[in-house]
Amino acid sequence: MMKPKTDKVLAAIIGNAFKAITDEMSLTLEKTTRSPILCEAKDFVTGLYDAEGRMLEQTENLPILSFSLSPVCKHIAERFRGEVYPGDVFFHNDVFSFGNQNNDVAAFKPVFSGETLVGWAAAKGHQADIGGAVRGGYNPNATEVWQEALRIPAVKVYERGRLRRDVWELIFANIRLPIVEEDMRAEIGACTVGERRLLSLIDKYGLDAILAHKEYLFEASRKMMEAEIARIPQGEYFGESTVYYDGKNEGSTFKIRVRVKVEDRHITFDYSQSDPQTKGFVNGTYTSSASATILTFLQMVNPDIPHNDGMLQPIEIVIPEGTILNAAYPAATTFGNHLCPPNADAIIRALAPVIPERVTAGWNQLLCSLSTGLNPHRNDTYVDILFMGLKGGSGAMRDCDGYDHIGMIDASGGVLDQDYEMFEHTTPHTLIKHEYLRDSGGAGRQRGGLGVETIYRVGGDATQIVAFGDGDVEPAFGLDGATVGTLNKIELHYPDGRILTAKSKDLISGVPAGTVYVQHAGGGGGYGPPTERPIEKVRQEVRDGILSLESARDLYRVALDPATFELLAEETARLRGTPV
Amino acid sequence: MSFKVGIDVGGTFTDLFLWAEDGSVGSFKVLSTPQDPSLGVLDGIRLMAEARGMPVADFARATSLIVHGTTVATNAVLTRSGAPTALITTEGVRDALEMRRGIRERQYDNRFQNVVPLVPRRLRIPVTGRIDFRGEETAPLDLGSVGRATETLRRDGVTSVAICFMHSYANAAHERAAAALVRQTLPGLFTSVSSEVLPVIRFYDRVSTTVLNAYVGPVVKGYMQNLTSRLAGAGFAGVLLIMQSNGGLAVPAATERLPASTLLSGPAGGPRAAAVFASAQGRDDCILVDMGGTSFDASLVRHGAAALRHDGEIDRLRIALPMLDISTIGAGGGSIGWIDEGGLLRMGPASAGALPGPACYGRGGERPTSTDANLVLGYLDPAYFAGGRLKLDVTAAHSAIEVHIARPLSLSTEEAAAGMYRVINSNMANGVREITVKRGLDPREFPLLVAGGAGPLHACMIATELDIPTVIIPYAASTLCATGMLLCDLQHDFVRSCVEPLGAIGRERLRSLVDEMAAEGRRQLEAEGAGTIENQVALDLRYLKQYHEVTLPVTPELIAAGDWPAIAELFHAEHDRLYGYQLKAEGTGLELINVRVRSLGRTRPPALPRYPRGGADASEIRKGSRRAFVPESGSFAEVPVYDGHRLMAGNVIRGPALLERTDTTVFVSAAYTGEVDEAGSVVLKASQ
Repeated sequence: MMKPKTDKVLAAIIGNAFKAITDEMSLTLEKTTRSPILCEAKDFVTGLYDAEGRMLEQTENLPILSFSLSPVCKHIAERFRGEVYPGDVFFHNDVFSFGNQNNDVAAFKPVFSGETLVGWAAAKGHQADIGGAVRGGYNPNATEVWQEALRIPAVKVYERGRLRRDVWELIFANIRLPIVEEDMRAEIGACTVGERRLLSLIDKYGLDAILAHKEYLFEASRKMMEAEIARIPQGEYFGESTVYYDGKNEGSTFKIRVRVKVEDRHITFDYSQSDPQTKGFVNGTYTSSASATILTFLQMVNPDIPHNDGMLQPIEIVIPEGTILNAAYPAATTFGNHLCPPNADAIIRALAPVIPERVTAGWNQLLCSLSTGLNPHRNDTYVDILFMGLKGGSGAMRDCDGYDHIGMIDASGGVLDQDYEMFEHTTPHTLIKHEYLRDSGGAGRQRGGLGVETIYRVGGDATQIVAFGDGDVEPAFGLDGATVGTLNKIELHYPDGRILTAKSKDLISGVPAGTVYVQHAGGGGGYGPPTERPIEKVRQEVRDGILSLESARDLYRVALDPATFELLAEETARLRGTPV
Repeated sequence: MSFKVGIDVGGTFTDLFLWAEDGSVGSFKVLSTPQDPSLGVLDGIRLMAEARGMPVADFARATSLIVHGTTVATNAVLTRSGAPTALITTEGVRDALEMRRGIRERQYDNRFQNVVPLVPRRLRIPVTGRIDFRGEETAPLDLGSVGRATETLRRDGVTSVAICFMHSYANAAHERAAAALVRQTLPGLFTSVSSEVLPVIRFYDRVSTTVLNAYVGPVVKGYMQNLTSRLAGAGFAGVLLIMQSNGGLAVPAATERLPASTLLSGPAGGPRAAAVFASAQGRDDCILVDMGGTSFDASLVRHGAAALRHDGEIDRLRIALPMLDISTIGAGGGSIGWIDEGGLLRMGPASAGALPGPACYGRGGERPTSTDANLVLGYLDPAYFAGGRLKLDVTAAHSAIEVHIARPLSLSTEEAAAGMYRVINSNMANGVREITVKRGLDPREFPLLVAGGAGPLHACMIATELDIPTVIIPYAASTLCATGMLLCDLQHDFVRSCVEPLGAIGRERLRSLVDEMAAEGRRQLEAEGAGTIENQVALDLRYLKQYHEVTLPVTPELIAAGDWPAIAELFHAEHDRLYGYQLKAEGTGLELINVRVRSLGRTRPPALPRYPRGGADASEIRKGSRRAFVPESGSFAEVPVYDGHRLMAGNVIRGPALLERTDTTVFVSAAYTGEVDEAGSVVLKASQ
């Protein structure tokens, strides 16, 4: 085949068009799904891939899902080589063939131009149920995959445009909620939208031109990423972090260890020294851990590099099977996505000494809860994931404060709070407080992002509260002389005066009406010595009530009049040891 | 002779459209005066008086109507120059305003900061008292805490206050009591009360909107008074109406009460004018695109009007008042071309604006812009830009493109300019996809109506990119929004939340909600002197347990009859149309969230001129020719130039051709043929 001449302008236009297509697929899914984790929290991703499964473009709502489709797509393209036909649709969730999490079920649709397979349209979202022992899929007692989920290795649910009714029914006979069937139809719908638009693009510019310019786009992204890597001093760097409590043995801890090797224009993340997998469900899959690695690193480079396969080419990720980040068959792995925060910590610690201007301090880690029960006002069941409660602060950078109330790094502000008034309509609970948590951000020249305090009064009897996450043992770390953020916690204040602190993986049943639920999502770590923070900023934060007089004095060395918040200049000069 | 005038104050230019009783019309542009926009308005009036050969005072006296779109509120927000504002709110939720539900729009950019809130935390003052979701009081309002709050307001020199309590849409008693105390204690303060501004469920939407309203209130009020007195000083004694973001008009006093209704007043006149010009082609729908100096606005007109949205944003702050659904991207004549690190050519979103402006303006701009590319491609006449008032520097344009684009890409300057033209056209086509394809609509089914000073040069190529067969370029393209303002109706939108399963609502309850809003609308419209009054009703509905609502227009008869099954049928059909499925068969119940009433006071819009009929042959108005780029052949050719001011209905212009006017230039590319219709628009159709 003669290679058409590359037209750099056309390349930019085709790149634009790919992005428009995956955006449109995403919007289709957002508007048509019904499970709140899809239509509200937007826990899904849509993308286009070439015939070999290499990422052309994607629209990501949660970064942790962003790099989870391409490995599966490559797997399907290889496994079904010669058996893929126009009108086929594949489903897939299997974590032992490049799935990232059991509940994240993907639909893949091959795109044919005439007889030629030219690419794939794909969508993947977190499904409300996936079979297994526990409704919803979070089973803290699981020790192997079958207790968590129905495994769906790549399987055709449509072949040549015809529904394979027997296969379809086999799948959904093993899933509790009918809503999942509807939401998977919505995923197929999004793929169909992507297929149509990719075909009309091919009609317009011709297949040869699209293929040639695709390579050029890969190359452009690769060059941008190589240029970013070249700015990191060459060498090997090591970082580690701790994972607490596997859901089976209280007090258990596990280490994530990463060796980052930068050579020329190539970067390797090698996790070989990490601890072996756990006996519980606190285990990563290769894909979830690789995604965590990529999203953390992407936050250290130019945020405008177009996301395609080329961007990933200079990045190598080594995670031996059997380690906590890549558990061997048939381990339980549902908690795997939530290993992203400690994974990110290890990477940041490794690279902070060499690129201090590009890293953040530690982020608040996820501690999440969901409540289920009967809403007496509506005489109906409800499920509420308390998104507003789980979002703590991000770590500060050398030149800017952390982001307040952003949530865990694997979402990076992509998950939104519920509306307070809708919360009181759709649950039996009453919101008492949802405010920034004073003194929660690590103190520093740049302070860590603030966490929040969420308090609600439980309504309805026999409420069940499930907690899962981390960040209740080790706070978000500070850098360069700054202090740590605050810890996560969830407490239930029962009407009889008893206070129960939830474990980071916990299932609490029979919570009576009138119980007060209190959650702290902690702050991010600070950056730089707190005494270098401008005095006026400290004073304003005390005036605004997000910093206490004591912290201003003890951590920032700024003394203020408790009544007027005016600066006590002499006292401050004495505390700081410099004139002010 | 009497006159009617539409005035659209933009960031760079103030556009004016003049209609005279004899049916003649004119488009005018003067530079905006951001410090006091009313000065620019007066400059415009002087310019129009001059054009009519009249003393300013005589012209002003003869003007019976001025309709005005203003960016005063928008600029106050964008430059954070609004009033020092406080918020009195329910204890426990005072940070909702700043949290914005915890979003960070750029997920991979750790330097991306949250928006600075319009009210600092120390002035977000909690008070005790609670209404529950049913509207029942569960804790009484502590007036003492409100009193203490007013002390803080006084001490801090606040001039405006927002009051927003939990569930006030269901029961406003606490808000009313707090507002009464504040108004009594501090009578000079501007007060913005959520149950008056937007009594609708969703706390963040309501508190953000109420605060925006408070923040711009004193500024808008001051501006209205200033403008009114300046106009009176110039001799104007007619009616002044203000363009609102919802696409309707109101008297200045109404916008002083609800100043946030002018937050996106600027472009709101466009869709109405677009509908009128499209109707000359027998269409009641079109895609309107408006390309100005820095931004590109796209909207979709259907059944004669643009759709409304209730989830708009300004500077990343939620504004939930109804506003026209106009999507804006950073693409304009001033958009700067650059090469990214991967070696790809990009256009915008950064803009050279009016200062320093494109390189060819010779005002110190060194970066190559879209206008520079258009000059190099021969689309603009350096001696006839703005009718010759601004001489363009061709050499400067060449060298900016040469240095920043051509050399890095190893292209000739002309190839680089053609690339810039192509990339910005593709960006704008994507802007159109935002409002069509992404909403499940096929852009090919609508004519493309092109406005803005820079738009007509790009019209054919945007249409080509989208396979749109018909392009309409009205004679008033460069001042379309100002034109549209003269054609709009008086309009007020009302909303009440009523969160209930549809079947559970009493017929009387719904009817009385509708009647209450309709009566309020009637009261306002009558005070504004409206003639014919019309009310439209819509319900925000969703399937039980869904998150997103669909706004469904319903007839008053269905409401009066309480015919829920018929309403449900309409909902199933609308949901299916929008999202490709419905749940009628599953028997899924519906939930009502909001009831909306729009009150329209029909105006008698001035009749726009009909163009005299001429022959197909336009050779008489051919001015000459120049070398210009023809995208279809990818090369330059000698292209005929026509005088755009002397067109007659029926004239046919075959592409490639250029039609020059003092305020804009139309490029008819080779694949298109233009014909002038009776409304004076150049209608371009792809040749077979």
